[in-house]
Amino acid sequence: MLLKLDTGDARPLHEQVAGAIRRAVAEGECAPGDKLPPARELSRALGVNTNTVLRGLRTLRDEGVLEFRRGRGITVATDADTRSELTERVRQLIADAARAGYSRNDLVDMIRGMS
Amino acid sequence: MKDEQPVTDRPATGRPARRGALWAAVAWTLGVLALLVALPLAARDRLPEQVATHWSGRNPDGSMPLTAAALFPAGIWLLVALGVAAAFRFRPGQARGHFAAVLAATGVLLTGAQTSVVHANLDRARWQDAAPMGIEVVLVIVAAGAAGLLAWFATRTPATGGTGGTENATAHPATALEVPADTRLVWLSHAANAWMQVTAAVLGLGAAGIALIAASGLSGPNWFTAVTLAVGAVVLLLSSSVQVRVTAAGLYVGFGPFGWPARRFAPEDLLSARAEQRTAGQTGGWGYRINNRGTTVMLRGGDCLVVRTRRGSDFAVSVDDAERGAALLNTLITGAATPTR
Repeated sequence: MLLKLDTGDARPLHEQVAGAIRRAVAEGECAPGDKLPPARELSRALGVNTNTVLRGLRTLRDEGVLEFRRGRGITVATDADTRSELTERVRQLIADAARAGYSRNDLVDMIRGMS
Repeated sequence: MKDEQPVTDRPATGRPARRGALWAAVAWTLGVLALLVALPLAARDRLPEQVATHWSGRNPDGSMPLTAAALFPAGIWLLVALGVAAAFRFRPGQARGHFAAVLAATGVLLTGAQTSVVHANLDRARWQDAAPMGIEVVLVIVAAGAAGLLAWFATRTPATGGTGGTENATAHPATALEVPADTRLVWLSHAANAWMQVTAAVLGLGAAGIALIAASGLSGPNWFTAVTLAVGAVVLLLSSSVQVRVTAAGLYVGFGPFGWPARRFAPEDLLSARAEQRTAGQTGGWGYRINNRGTTVMLRGGDCLVVRTRRGSDFAVSVDDAERGAALLNTLITGAATPTR
């Protein structure tokens, strides 16, 4: 799989790792059900600490993108690609809103007001 | 000769055919099992109480009670069959031909050995009088090898045997990825050969078994066999899987489950990278291969990532998605060649 990292990204490393994997799943780099490379392997490839990678992976598990299974490693969850793409777009939306001076609550109100 | 029949019965591809192959494998397993147990029991009236089961040179030097001699090879066979079934369950797509080959070769080997044992003990009063072993051993081993090869040819998937992709891959040797200025790309892939892993496990178990038997005092320690098996198991395990990554530091190929030992190539040491279709037939077998095509780490036929070093030799490793790994490497190579960086 191909992972993309933004060198100018100011976010914490674990978020960048999560972002790179989320993006890879959204772009179809790994299909639902596929096994992810082991965390140690990812950490060496990305040049970050294994614990940082694990933290990023846990974030993705909580988002429903990944599944941790004992003995079978970390796999991409079913429907992860659509979900991951949506999450990425929501993130973008939150960032855009912040730049325009709207808070998350404003966004929620806007979404509620949509018909 | 009837040993080889189920082998050719196994169809190569397709969904309905796969089911047929499964049933053929089950029938083969049960058939061999029945043969192994039935052979000595059927000849019970003409065999001694203890039958010779081990020969040193031409003279018998080991024996077992008749029932044990009937059940022992059957137990080995069941273990092999279970190993193949487990490998098939967890790696269904990969190396299907190897499973068939292992089943065919082991089946022929065990039935051949059992037949030789029964034959040598037939109509003898004591196991010490058993007939010497000679040409039978060679015949059985040759037959097992032939059965394994036949099974492999009969069941290998045509897709991996094709060389159609070669022209395509070599036609664009210098494909490079476009990397935006503020983006860092890394590429990861891996490949494994389940058949080699299973063999490594079997060899390791064999070594452990011999060590245990020696430890329990049942027989003198057979260190030569134990060490040979253990070394074989470790070598096979290390060469049965690879982890490959392409980062700014270049190409990294780590062997075995721990990624060690490893081979590293810095972008400065490389001329170009490409993806190529290679088969085990072309590289001369599985594992770490060195021949006129350069070095190949062959774990399964198909997509290989090939790099050409500045010394002019090729290094290839069989991994999925090799095309993009090669493209990223080419980008890194041109980047390393530019004096501004």
